[in-house]
Amino acid sequence: MPQLNPEFFVSQLFWLAVFFSFLFIFLWRVSLPRISTVLEKRQNKIDENLATAKELQEQAQKIELSINEKINKAKQETDNLIKISSEKLQENILNELNLLDKELDEKIIISEKEINNNKENQMKNINSEIANITKMTLEKIANIKISTEDLNNAIETTKGNLN
Amino acid sequence: MAAKDSPLKQFEIDPISNIELGGYNISFTNSSFAMLITVLVITLFLTLTVNTRSIIPTRMQLISELMYNFIAQLLSDTVGDNGKKYFPFVFSLFMFVLIGNMVGMIPYQFTFTSHIIVTFALASVVFIGVTILGFINHGIKFFTFFYIPGVPFYMHPLLIPIEVISYLSRPISLSVRLFANMLAGHTLLKVFAGFVVSMPFFTGVFPLAFIVALTGLEILIAFLQAYVFAILTCLYINDAYHLH
Repeated sequence: MPQLNPEFFVSQLFWLAVFFSFLFIFLWRVSLPRISTVLEKRQNKIDENLATAKELQEQAQKIELSINEKINKAKQETDNLIKISSEKLQENILNELNLLDKELDEKIIISEKEINNNKENQMKNINSEIANITKMTLEKIANIKISTEDLNNAIETTKGNLN
Repeated sequence: MAAKDSPLKQFEIDPISNIELGGYNISFTNSSFAMLITVLVITLFLTLTVNTRSIIPTRMQLISELMYNFIAQLLSDTVGDNGKKYFPFVFSLFMFVLIGNMVGMIPYQFTFTSHIIVTFALASVVFIGVTILGFINHGIKFFTFFYIPGVPFYMHPLLIPIEVISYLSRPISLSVRLFANMLAGHTLLKVFAGFVVSMPFFTGVFPLAFIVALTGLEILIAFLQAYVFAILTCLYINDAYHLH
């Protein structure tokens, strides 16, 4: 069995020591730090990105919250505005209606007065008109000249009979 | 069977160049050559693949990182935070054994891990290192490692020698495990390879198919033994920190 032949024991031990020491020192000083740097760099990058993502998410949540708040506020304001303006409108309508009623009443009263006045005036004038017409008719048809006084008297008398 | 056909012929050491130093024969042999190839493969692979140091790894870089994480995980699982200091050593040991085994799987290549002297040297480094570590951490109290608490007092005269023997046999079990696995696997491959040649007509196909399957198994064992070597080293380091 060649393994138990001590001829090359020293040689094997010597080269094992040389190569393994070289390997150990090379890996320890060169290769492993490189790999660990890369791994660390990657981990840092991942952590950084995760932190940024978390921050952004928090910001987004805050923004969403504030938007919701604003929307609610705006809704309340609009509701209030609608309520106030509708109340105002109702009041205005009532006022306008009242004013209109008053105006109409006044106009009706004035009109009634005017009508009454007109009526009275017409009634006042009617006597003289009647006298004039009668006089003209008599003159044209019967060629009778009559004094205004007589005519008025006659009319008064007739009026009294008519009434 | 003639000596040149022996399945053990593959384990013979042939000097490539004869060197002598202080009366000792330190010839550069096929075993040394296999170690050289192993070290070159490991250093070049781990250096070149991580050369770009890119955050998004290339496939090759990913392999290096996987190996790194594999051993780092192993060490932190078994030893914990104390283990970080020993990461370069355990990683070197794992890679050296793993790639040494793999280089041995290449036909006509020498398997230096199939030599007890090599595995025993590696195991001794681990054993001596761990023992020194135990004394550094616990001083003279390290000897309480052999005292098992919670056992009836009359058992101690029996148990303490057993514990001492089992502790002292650690380098032997560690080295023989690797050596024997490599020796057995390669010998088996060679034996079946002999069948392929010696069997008549085309019946040699059957041992050939078996060799193919066995090669797959051997690659698995090559990895497994490197893993076992590394994990046992981790466990021993852990023992040096936590006595019981």
